[in-house]
Amino acid sequence: MQRLPVVSRALAGVAQTKGGAALTKNVRSAATAAPAAAPASNLLEVFVDGKPVMVEPGTTVLQACEKVGVQIPRFCYHERLSVAGNCRMCLVEIERAPKPVAACAMPVMKGWNILTNSEKTKKAREGVMEFLLANHPLDCPICDQGGECDLQDQSMMFGSDRSRFTEGKRAVEDKNIGPLIKTIMTRCIHCTRCIRFASEIAGVEDLGSTGRGNEMQVGTYIEKMFMSELSGNVIDICPVGALTSKPYAFTSRPWETRSTESIDVLDAVGSNIVVTTRSGEVMRVLPRLNEDVNEEWISDKTRFAYDGLKRQRLTEPMVKNTSGQLVPTSWEDALTRVAGVLQGAQGREVAAIAGGLVDAEALVALKDLLNRLNSDTLCTEEVFPMGGAGTDLRSNYLLNTRIAGIEEADILLLIGTNPRFEAPLFNARIRKSWLHNELQVALVGQNVDLSYSYEHLGDTAQVLQEIAAGTHPYSKVLAQAKRPVVVVGSACLQRADGAALHSAVSTIAQKARASSGVEDGWKVLNVLHRVASQVAALDLGYKPGVDTIRKNPPKVLFLLGADAGCITRQDLPKDSIIIYQGHHGDVGATMADIILPGAAYTEKCGTYVNTEGRAQQTHVAVTAPGMAREDWKIIRAVSELADVTLPYDTLDEVRKRLAEVAPNLVRYDDVEEANFFQQAIELSKTVNQTVLAEPLVPPQLTVRDFYMTDPISRASQTMAKCVKAVTEGAQAVDEPAFC
Amino acid sequence: MEMLGFGTAAITFSVPISGWLREVSLRHRRPEDLATNMAGTAARSAVSAARVVKPILSRDLDEAKRRVRELYKAWYREVPNAVAIYQLDISTKQGREKVREMFYKNRHVTDPRVIDMLVIKGKMELQETIHVWKQKTHVMRYFHETETPRPADFMSKFYSGHDP
Amino acid sequence: MLSWTFRTAVSQTARQIRSLHKTAVRSGGGGALFVHRDTADNNPDTPFEFTPENLQRIEAIIKNYPEGHKQAATIPVLDLAQRQHGWLPISAMNKVAEVLEVPPMRVYEVATFYTMFLRQPVGKYHIQICTTTPCMLCNSDSILEAIKNKLGIKVGETTPDKMFSLIEVECLGACVNAPMVQINDNYYEDLLPEDIEQIIDELRAGNVPPPGPRNGRFSCEPAGGLTSLTEPPPGPGFGVRPDL
Repeated sequence: MQRLPVVSRALAGVAQTKGGAALTKNVRSAATAAPAAAPASNLLEVFVDGKPVMVEPGTTVLQACEKVGVQIPRFCYHERLSVAGNCRMCLVEIERAPKPVAACAMPVMKGWNILTNSEKTKKAREGVMEFLLANHPLDCPICDQGGECDLQDQSMMFGSDRSRFTEGKRAVEDKNIGPLIKTIMTRCIHCTRCIRFASEIAGVEDLGSTGRGNEMQVGTYIEKMFMSELSGNVIDICPVGALTSKPYAFTSRPWETRSTESIDVLDAVGSNIVVTTRSGEVMRVLPRLNEDVNEEWISDKTRFAYDGLKRQRLTEPMVKNTSGQLVPTSWEDALTRVAGVLQGAQGREVAAIAGGLVDAEALVALKDLLNRLNSDTLCTEEVFPMGGAGTDLRSNYLLNTRIAGIEEADILLLIGTNPRFEAPLFNARIRKSWLHNELQVALVGQNVDLSYSYEHLGDTAQVLQEIAAGTHPYSKVLAQAKRPVVVVGSACLQRADGAALHSAVSTIAQKARASSGVEDGWKVLNVLHRVASQVAALDLGYKPGVDTIRKNPPKVLFLLGADAGCITRQDLPKDSIIIYQGHHGDVGATMADIILPGAAYTEKCGTYVNTEGRAQQTHVAVTAPGMAREDWKIIRAVSELADVTLPYDTLDEVRKRLAEVAPNLVRYDDVEEANFFQQAIELSKTVNQTVLAEPLVPPQLTVRDFYMTDPISRASQTMAKCVKAVTEGAQAVDEPAFC
Repeated sequence: MEMLGFGTAAITFSVPISGWLREVSLRHRRPEDLATNMAGTAARSAVSAARVVKPILSRDLDEAKRRVRELYKAWYREVPNAVAIYQLDISTKQGREKVREMFYKNRHVTDPRVIDMLVIKGKMELQETIHVWKQKTHVMRYFHETETPRPADFMSKFYSGHDP
Repeated sequence: MLSWTFRTAVSQTARQIRSLHKTAVRSGGGGALFVHRDTADNNPDTPFEFTPENLQRIEAIIKNYPEGHKQAATIPVLDLAQRQHGWLPISAMNKVAEVLEVPPMRVYEVATFYTMFLRQPVGKYHIQICTTTPCMLCNSDSILEAIKNKLGIKVGETTPDKMFSLIEVECLGACVNAPMVQINDNYYEDLLPEDIEQIIDELRAGNVPPPGPRNGRFSCEPAGGLTSLTEPPPGPGFGVRPDL
């Protein structure tokens, strides 16, 4: 895998300014601008190997070369990090310049002719490569980066075929920076990408370079773990094998594996991922570029929780026998029993709860099934206030500004949320905007470390009401905003006074919007969800929260991946029957009478809608283990045996049905606008406005709470090690080194 | 237009490069390809005038039928040998019935060119059987011993496993 | 042909003898590693607190730099900490980071880069002896021997009474007055073995002998007296055309 970036990304870097519009403008101008460009533009003309190109002033030599499709080799340069210019690999000759220049750091000047393939350039690259390899060990055969190593690739392309170095090679001691990242520091070429990533993107200034000259080292100096929620990304940006994945160590080579593009479901961001598999086993998870969602980063949970997909799995149908033990059985038996149970209890006696990892296909199938049985008691585990417009208007429960929209905001008010651990990539966007666009952040809720500075306004709901009423000093700040954004965490809306909080937040958003005078397309009110299935479930008409079930305990309860444990045996009548369908033996399965094994997100083609309302689909990377089946198929099979056959046999037919219910769910990679804020606020005035006095505390406060939040990450050993490491220190999980 | 007799594969020997290292390269040219191409062009141009069909082997149906009978006889005679050589767990009678069944499967074919093709294929099978280029399982595949019918409806697909 | 192969093999073998790189021990600030390991007298809990006078000094130092650029004061504040404590324990670096409101790692980077920041305990008097070529030619080895014998320690060690530490350093820029040693901030130059012994004796007695050359020179003028500019300087009008 050559990790040189594509040209379009370099263009995004050149454009620098406000998002998509500027980018397209830039592209258009690049496409139409002939060498004789419009005289009004301030573009510079430079030549790359004699080929003319028009670039904006301030463009670096490297970016200008990328614009004409010439790739300059590089190690330290990364388009999402600051320019360091210390690897010197990008040296190119400029015509009539005395020395080769570092292309990544040198802004172009008018009329320069950049020679990317001249003798001098080649010689410079060869020399730099020789120096880099002087201290680099020749352990490629046992290096995990082998096959996807920038140093390997570039030394093949640009290096000399022999070295003149006969002295002793330098050796550097390996560091223990936690259970996720394996370090082999002798391989480090001091590009400082990891240091810059840690301090710029992750906001954790733990990495640095100590010492000088030949003795320089990259590390933490003191014995300390690099435990950031984004730490795994340094594995991807490391151009050599110095930082590699500890769980993935010595397991497979990139050319042995198959990659499947997919979507992460362990939080509500919907990060785009690549699932790498070999012979029916998930080997690792890598990020996939999506500028609108996760850029090119993913969180540690997304990256490392995959080993949870191999443990605690439900692989065969199970039923409770006469002695109350769950025993494995066949699909015929289990399905017949489920169908019998469903037929025996009609109407309101049947209820269903959908969990956080369920795809939209299964959700719609389950809804159709229960509707056919004359029941409409379909709930999600996650609570959302139903007062006022509730979930009837989509604008009430979406992250309307969108994740990328944060980059255009100037004032951000966070309410009752800790985005750093609830949605790490969203938090990374906030940090990016805070760093580069002077975004001002304020927080109502528990005072937590968000990796950027913010104004803490208090942690009670009363503060919110004061801001809404305009009596709080912060109201004045908000009134000055040009592009305000208000983000409320889904957790704080789950309290008894959720509706009142939502109403207060809507009022704040509405007022901020009115005072800012921003254009119509700009949304202010945002809800940040924590689970992947919630938006799809609400779009499909599921009721948030299980209160209905608590009030009218059903005879038959169908748990679709519901593992949060919000309904227990005690809430139901003695003779009620619980059917659990899901992929992990977690909370839900232990209390079930019948278990139907389903497929996890890497094993099915499913639709997930992220907190912005963006529909995305996962693909089948591996087949489900044992007798497990895709979830909608199980429900479809149950329906046939229960004599209420659902009218779809294939995935396409299910999606056709999805499109009937909610067309936005099948418009993949597209965000459906939701725009009824005015109506929502009118309706929200009808709810009871009294709030509780308790502080707004998000459920995940420290990095320790981040790792295990759902059945998959709870089953993951790697995540368990992370929790252990942050509690007891890195030594607690230190394993003997292999090499 | 007889193109099929157009020479055989051309073989070139390249001269050795170094003293002890010699390299021999064989280059195959395929005159048939050329022939088909040209025939195709010819056919296309002829289509407007009159429908001229180029026979493969047989000029009419009677000749094709003769070839079929010859092949059938050859197979009929081969069956006892095959049963013995491959140590098949079937009787000669069963084998001959299978041969008959296979021939009858194509009884509806009337186009001599198609018949010729089938006969050619049958001859190839026969040759492979006679020379024991096959193994026992390959012969027994005619009897479809292990094949189970593919599930068609949703429920049987569901029970049988993951998507085919 | 055969002899050619033989010769190549021999030269290959000769070239493949690997040398050990040794500067780390000397350049690493009193022989410290470039990673920190907690020890009994150097750990995050080692007591270190700036004195009130030094805190005032830090304030003055920070004022030298523009608003929001406290990080620029890292080197002077680290130096202050080292002057106060004698060397830089990890707790002192953490304190500096706290005072300057920068992440501790940024302070570690600076402290490990400069060899004059001592990250290992040293004695009250830190003797740095130059053994680079010009000093070596002026017999710095004898000075080194004398110190070793006098103090009973080897290079890189500290006397048991924590009075003296000895390290060998590269050129200190006083080659004209070779051989020389630097003791804390003072240069003692043009040394003979007797001179250094006397200096150590005085230091032990609690006095700081005056720094400078020991052979009667004032500064770095030629050792054998001036070779030019020996006459008294001529007055005004010297060498000027009489008609002017």
